[in-house]
Amino acid sequence: MFSKILIANRGEIALRIIRAARELGLKTVAVYSESDRNSLHTILADDKVCIGPGRAADSYLNIPNILGAAEQTRAEAIHPGYGFLAENPRFAEICESSGFVFIGPQPAMIKLMGNKSLARQEMKRARLYVLPGSNEIVQDLPEAKKIAKKMGYPVIIKAAAGGGGKGMRIARTRAQLEEQFGPAQNEAKASFNDPSLYIEKYLPNSRHIEIQVIGDKHGNVVALGERECSIQRKHQKVIEESPSPFVDDKLRKKMIKAAEDAARHIGYQSLGTFEFLVDEKKRYYFMEANTRIQVEHPITEMVYSLDLVKEQIRIAAGEKLSIRDGLEMSGHGLECRINAEDPVTFSPSPGTIDFLVLPGGQGIRVDSAAYQGWQIPPDYDSLVAKIITLAPTRPEAIKKMQTALEMTTIVGIKTNLPLHLAILSDTDFMEGRYDTQFMERFQRKNNNNQK
Amino acid sequence: MNDKKIDYEEITKLVSFLEEKHLTHFELEVEGFKIKISRALPQVAAPAKVSVPAPVPQPDQPQPMTQAAPAVVLAPDQFQYITSPMVGTFYRAPDPASPAFVEIGEEVKKGQTLCIIEAMKLMNEIESDMDGMVAEIFVENGKPVEYGQRLFSIRPVEV
Repeated sequence: MFSKILIANRGEIALRIIRAARELGLKTVAVYSESDRNSLHTILADDKVCIGPGRAADSYLNIPNILGAAEQTRAEAIHPGYGFLAENPRFAEICESSGFVFIGPQPAMIKLMGNKSLARQEMKRARLYVLPGSNEIVQDLPEAKKIAKKMGYPVIIKAAAGGGGKGMRIARTRAQLEEQFGPAQNEAKASFNDPSLYIEKYLPNSRHIEIQVIGDKHGNVVALGERECSIQRKHQKVIEESPSPFVDDKLRKKMIKAAEDAARHIGYQSLGTFEFLVDEKKRYYFMEANTRIQVEHPITEMVYSLDLVKEQIRIAAGEKLSIRDGLEMSGHGLECRINAEDPVTFSPSPGTIDFLVLPGGQGIRVDSAAYQGWQIPPDYDSLVAKIITLAPTRPEAIKKMQTALEMTTIVGIKTNLPLHLAILSDTDFMEGRYDTQFMERFQRKNNNNQK
Repeated sequence: MNDKKIDYEEITKLVSFLEEKHLTHFELEVEGFKIKISRALPQVAAPAKVSVPAPVPQPDQPQPMTQAAPAVVLAPDQFQYITSPMVGTFYRAPDPASPAFVEIGEEVKKGQTLCIIEAMKLMNEIESDMDGMVAEIFVENGKPVEYGQRLFSIRPVEV
């Protein structure tokens, strides 16, 4: 096992990793930007190194400075968290070639899964169902139109290097495709420095359901039950739950087996997530694989009583998987992402938290780097807290979440707490009747009610 | 005022008056005669507001010397800092056998190498971005530095 690890990230995930490392008896190194001087991860790590100005490109994405910090502090391994450099194969490669263990999968695996188009082809070989779509990168609009015509509208345009909903556009008609192709290309270029796009068949009434996989360096692979992530706004997840109200035992077993086989097929050696679209007839299609810890990992930890981050660190150190195959879920886990944003316009609301009361009690977990008096820097994402509940049944988990959110007070910034409370009391949500289009319908309904 | 030229004694008096009233600048113009006296403030203190018979402009910043020149004392904020642009190891000399690039009290030119920061086996020369004098060196040779850390303070040369 390592004795010291560096965390190349910030915010709640940096804190989550510090906690796991401490529980394992490891020392931690925080890297921070000038805007994060007073952020909790900077304060709570054993060691800290400033790696650049507020702008992420010059700090949290600054590979030489991060490696310099690891060298200075004699860290042995680097945990990338999520976002920033987490899925950058070059970073993983440089870590390893500089003598640091990258706490994640092999660089080649990140490269393979990072190219959404190559990943589709490989998953086909692993005998996963893949949505009809372009097998190669779509070079230009005429080619896009040809492919879309062949598989039929609606289609979804995605960035090959993508993730997080960036560069993602839905086209229901040829005219929309013509209109969206250019902007999607620009967004992909701006977000990932790679304008490559691919096209997939779009399933409008489907659900976004993902399976957690964990592999070690000894060839052992295990997959865990699903996370339901269909409550999304502009491809950004808002509420996640586990298990999915839509997935029965039979489907769960099939999906777990499929993901496990696919992970074994590619020789996956870390924590990862296979994302699927599941249609009304319970057919599931591989969408993409994320080669990192997910934001919503706590709900899986809650229903399985596991610590995925500790497991990830142990595996990176060469230990064998400690999670048994065939584990059963127990209870229902729910996660609400509390963002610093205007609940109506959704525009970010950075500022100082003047007063803060976070919820607590049995079955409540809060993953957050916020504290009273903290000035949220405007340079990064707007996630303020993840509030997670665990209860024996889904209705109880929802009730617990309502109670928790009602007792949460955040003064000084605007948050989406009111939005969460509105979703939690929506009839369709309460009955578990929803798909990836839920938020659009929900907002339309609410706008009409206000008129 | 008459045609008589102002003499040395009167100038000395004026200068003392400026000092006494904590003024930084004094100008007087009459037909065929003009005098301008200014002095730098010893500390960054707001110029005292004193009413004087003649209209006296009171600029916010000390003006460059024209005549009478009391000793210049720079306030702490008039030093410029050279900070580390990267995470690495600080070296004062190109190699252990050579003398340091600069010492305290030394004059440096803009663009002159002050130190080396080693990052990822690369030696990065850090240059002065102004003409001036090295007032302080904050880091010991061979020590790690982080982004934004102060390395040197430089007292800029008067223009």
